[in-house]
Amino acid sequence: MNIKIKLIVTALAFAASCSVYAADSIKIGVSGPYTGGSSPMGISMRDGARLAASEINAKGGILGRQIELVERDDEAKNERGVQVSQELINKERVVATVGYANTGVSLASQRFYQEAKIPVLNNVATGTAVTKQFLPPEFPDNYIFRTSANDSIQSALIVKQAIEVNKYTKVAILADSTNYGQLGREDLEKALAAKNIKPVAVEKFNVKDVDMTAQLLKAKEAGAQAILTYAIGPELAQIANGMEKLGWKVPMIGSWTLSMGNFIDNAGKNGEGAHMPQTFIQEPNTPKRKAFIDAYLKTYNPPKGRIASPVSAAQGYDSMYILATAIKQAGSTDGVKVRQALENLQEKVEGVVTTYNHPYTHDDHEAITINMVVMGKVQDGHVVYANQSDKGEVVREKDAKAKK
Amino acid sequence: MEILAQLVVSGIALGMIYALIAFGYQLTFATSGTLNFGQGEALMLGALVGLTLVGHMNYWLMLPLVLVFGALQGIFVERVGVLPALKTKSEFGWIMTTISLAIIFKNVAENVWGHDDITFPSPLPTAPLQFFGIRVLPMEILVVVGALAIMLAVEMFNRKSIYGKAVVATSNDRDAAGLMGINTGVVITFSYALSSMTAAFAGVLIAPLTLTGSTMGVVLGLKAFSVAIIGGLNSGMGVIVGGLILGVVETTTGYYISTGYKDVPGLLLLLLVLAIKPSGLFGKSVIKKV
Repeated sequence: MNIKIKLIVTALAFAASCSVYAADSIKIGVSGPYTGGSSPMGISMRDGARLAASEINAKGGILGRQIELVERDDEAKNERGVQVSQELINKERVVATVGYANTGVSLASQRFYQEAKIPVLNNVATGTAVTKQFLPPEFPDNYIFRTSANDSIQSALIVKQAIEVNKYTKVAILADSTNYGQLGREDLEKALAAKNIKPVAVEKFNVKDVDMTAQLLKAKEAGAQAILTYAIGPELAQIANGMEKLGWKVPMIGSWTLSMGNFIDNAGKNGEGAHMPQTFIQEPNTPKRKAFIDAYLKTYNPPKGRIASPVSAAQGYDSMYILATAIKQAGSTDGVKVRQALENLQEKVEGVVTTYNHPYTHDDHEAITINMVVMGKVQDGHVVYANQSDKGEVVREKDAKAKK
Repeated sequence: MEILAQLVVSGIALGMIYALIAFGYQLTFATSGTLNFGQGEALMLGALVGLTLVGHMNYWLMLPLVLVFGALQGIFVERVGVLPALKTKSEFGWIMTTISLAIIFKNVAENVWGHDDITFPSPLPTAPLQFFGIRVLPMEILVVVGALAIMLAVEMFNRKSIYGKAVVATSNDRDAAGLMGINTGVVITFSYALSSMTAAFAGVLIAPLTLTGSTMGVVLGLKAFSVAIIGGLNSGMGVIVGGLILGVVETTTGYYISTGYKDVPGLLLLLLVLAIKPSGLFGKSVIKKV
């Protein structure tokens, strides 16, 4: 009984403290998939954003006000994302929104932010089209920003690994049927064409498919030396396990989702050696990264001491700091002023992925450039640096001219 | 030739999964004229309960417990969702109630077991066996054998035992069976128990091959439903043949035409069957007298 009363008192006190802040807090939307196959990305992203927000709040918030996150599950479904965006804009009246792990959801939802002149920071979704939906001259100002490595960067690195590093000439593409998979497949085909290579097989599958025999047999019969993938964790694991079943083992090189915990765990030994581009690998090679990893593990205590999706967590964390810095510079929560501040950020933001030095301009809404992205590989159930030379302490800053 | 054989073998394994779930639809339709649209969720619950139990015991010991759980779950669905609709002679009430129960089960599973897909430890070696160049996973053989075994067991029970005869009588003519002193209400409840039991069994059979998670049943439940329609809702032979057709067509279309179109022939077949022989390939057409 005693404990119960204590709990009630604590809860009331907590509620009271919340309502004090709620009066003049800065509301920031966090939209992501917290359920389903994409949830490792969504949950890691949310936890990273929460961590950043609580650090900022502990230091007194922004403009003397506390950040209040309004978290909503978009379930990786386009229509749900649209509902969430309308709720965040019209009911919660958020200052800005961070999030979106799924390109399709992002493309379907951000129209409403653009119309309401509220900035969106995509911190996980990678589709190349994400930041290119509202370009001049039709739209004078674009409210869509990104802190993740887009698919044209990723596909270029995947192709570079397969064609230049491993010297393969025959590759097969396996992509899922979602916007993410199919847009990624287009980018991969473009990147291969730039090297005068045509994939020997281009196969497709649905999310939740349980049998990959047909797709893998086609790739095998075409003589593929490697499989390039664009899909999410569970189906990637089915591909790795399907190869084991067919007794055919070629390297998997694919988009960054090969680092998801639900791929690594479900593929087990079949997933070892898979290569993927990463903006962040859970290794404390810089002081900032060490501080971030320690704080994340201490706060959320993920199983096996492994962040379910380290890239999402780091990008979620960074997006919150970039946004907070922009609001501080704008001196206001007005969407137009925040966008202008984002496009001309004076203060350097020390993030986990990189130190953001003028991350955006009016016409460039991509914070990540190809020079910041490294190759990771799966080893003993963890993602590690594929090349030891990438493991240095040097923070690679934005280089808009970096060659693909 | 070897490739075709490999595709057919994979298709058979896939098709037997569909057939086993479709068999569950058939059981309840026979006795009560109703279907449990939560069949996919019954499968998912069975797999997840199995996953929890398998942490404490051997896979084979876990099987009977999962069967009991499945039966109880089926009884629950019948009592809460279907019985009220049957009592009020509601034509379509049970459709909504079984669908909503399915959604509730899915949400409960998300809260209990989380949102992520989990690996189910395989009771058999995961290395494939090789026959004449065709590779089969031991687990796939178990799925085919297990599915056939449970369908056979249910059929034998219906044909040989006195209780089974009550089930057959009820499915032939519920009113007449009632007049003969058969408690048709109990028979219907029993058929729901059997139906969810086979679904739960299917769940633990396929879980080591697929991944286990709260959303695993949705697509499977839907495909099995089209198998039940293609094969005929009142033919045991029908679901097996229907399942095999759909499974093999899926894998072969994927290879010979395009993996983007692998679900199309199955759906075309469904439309064809509905247009030409609505009672299914093996179904007996029933004339409804009003």
